[in-house]
Amino acid sequence: MKGKSLLEAWNAFFFAEQSPTPIALFRIVYGVLVTATLLLLRPDWLAWFGAHAWVSLPTMHELEPGPRLNLFVWVPQNDAWISALFWMFLASALLLTVGFLTRLNSVLLFLCLNSIQQRNLYITHGGDTFLRVAGFFLIFAPAGAAFSVDRLIRIWRGKEGAAIGPRSPWAQRMIQFELSLLYFVTFCWKVQGVPWIQGTALYYVFHLDELQRFPLPSWLVNPAMLKLGTWFTLVLEFSLGVLIWVRELRYPLLALGVLFHLFLEYATNVPLFQWDVLSAYILFVDPADIDRATNWLRARFVAAL
Amino acid sequence: MAAQIPGSLTNGTRNGRASTWGAAGRVAINVFLVFHILAIACWCLPASNPLILTAREFVRPYFVWSGLFQSWDMFSPTPKAVNTYLEAMIIRKDGSTEFWGFPRMELLSYAERYYRERYRKYEENLLDSRYSALWPDAARQVARLHANPADPPQTVMLLVRWSNIVQRADGSFERSPWDAHVFFTYAVKPEDLQ
Repeated sequence: MKGKSLLEAWNAFFFAEQSPTPIALFRIVYGVLVTATLLLLRPDWLAWFGAHAWVSLPTMHELEPGPRLNLFVWVPQNDAWISALFWMFLASALLLTVGFLTRLNSVLLFLCLNSIQQRNLYITHGGDTFLRVAGFFLIFAPAGAAFSVDRLIRIWRGKEGAAIGPRSPWAQRMIQFELSLLYFVTFCWKVQGVPWIQGTALYYVFHLDELQRFPLPSWLVNPAMLKLGTWFTLVLEFSLGVLIWVRELRYPLLALGVLFHLFLEYATNVPLFQWDVLSAYILFVDPADIDRATNWLRARFVAAL
Repeated sequence: MAAQIPGSLTNGTRNGRASTWGAAGRVAINVFLVFHILAIACWCLPASNPLILTAREFVRPYFVWSGLFQSWDMFSPTPKAVNTYLEAMIIRKDGSTEFWGFPRMELLSYAERYYRERYRKYEENLLDSRYSALWPDAARQVARLHANPADPPQTVMLLVRWSNIVQRADGSFERSPWDAHVFFTYAVKPEDLQ
């Protein structure tokens, strides 16, 4: 009986069909973030990945051995080819954002991100890692089922009606799982560190010259506040890792998570990391709420016209 | 409080449409899901249980190949407690020397530090002795940046300058005096400059 209900819960969780609007919105934000990542890298494409890069391909093979899905291994090692590869990646990111040939471009973009990171793992941060692993599961998701050029084409060809049909969300669930695991695992690592338990961890983080962005008010960086902030971080990361799955707590936790990441975006210089993580919050929003929001926006937009 | 599937539709809507998955496809997806959930959890969680370590080794070739490897240990277990920056000393053929600083985020404009942050991460890894294989490439790159056919670089030395972050008894911040250490010396070859 217990096994049966567990199986039913599993099936409901992964396969009960729902509106694909959250995953479609995530696709758009994801595409924008990958595009931004590539554009921010643009001045240094060749410095990091070119024929004479800071880390050569043989060194990368020596440090990170084993076969890897990496397009850079397959193209001739000259700057023209490597630049061409990047332009292709950029085109693919833009096409995924608008949802044209969505499945194909989700595969290409995952290959792109994986290749870039496999080619030089020593310049990547957690946000890049999250985009990579989320990109893997996005391949399997019905990401072009809404808000996409693909859907417009299907409607124009008469293959689809005006209503967006529900889809199985198992791939979306895996990206949600990755996000909650990110928080839970970082919580598990942190509680193993004495500074996190003692409450001094943020004192060190906010005194790292290389990490500071905008100045913080002095009352916020006094030891007592930093101690509270350290412990609050632990509580919030545990909550976002575990309690996020409790419906009644989800929106308040998401709101706290947004404030937390916006504060980090202001205070620390890890470009796009906060936005990479925040992008997956969309997947925790109820599709009915997304529909309400889009209807409201549409009404406002039409009224304004 | 009841746990509920985030973003799901009502039961009526949920059951209102026949499943499009064939039985075989459904089984395959379930195998895929169970494998990936267990494998990712074993890979990430900071546990040293022999079973988890065995599982990690088992999935390693697939994770490394596919790009599913991941670690979520931001500022943990112990955040960095030292400010560092890197410099290179270039000794030319005529014996003259010059210093070149790797990009330091705190000295860049807000816009620059946004798109040059990759250097911060790279420098962090460059200082990790586990990645000492990166050092010759870095020295060669510095030599190339300072190539001058009339007076080519002959030696490149990589050095780190550091200052500990100290918390005084009253909790206020103190920076220990800056110290320096040459951690790699490279004799530049003519072919490095081509």
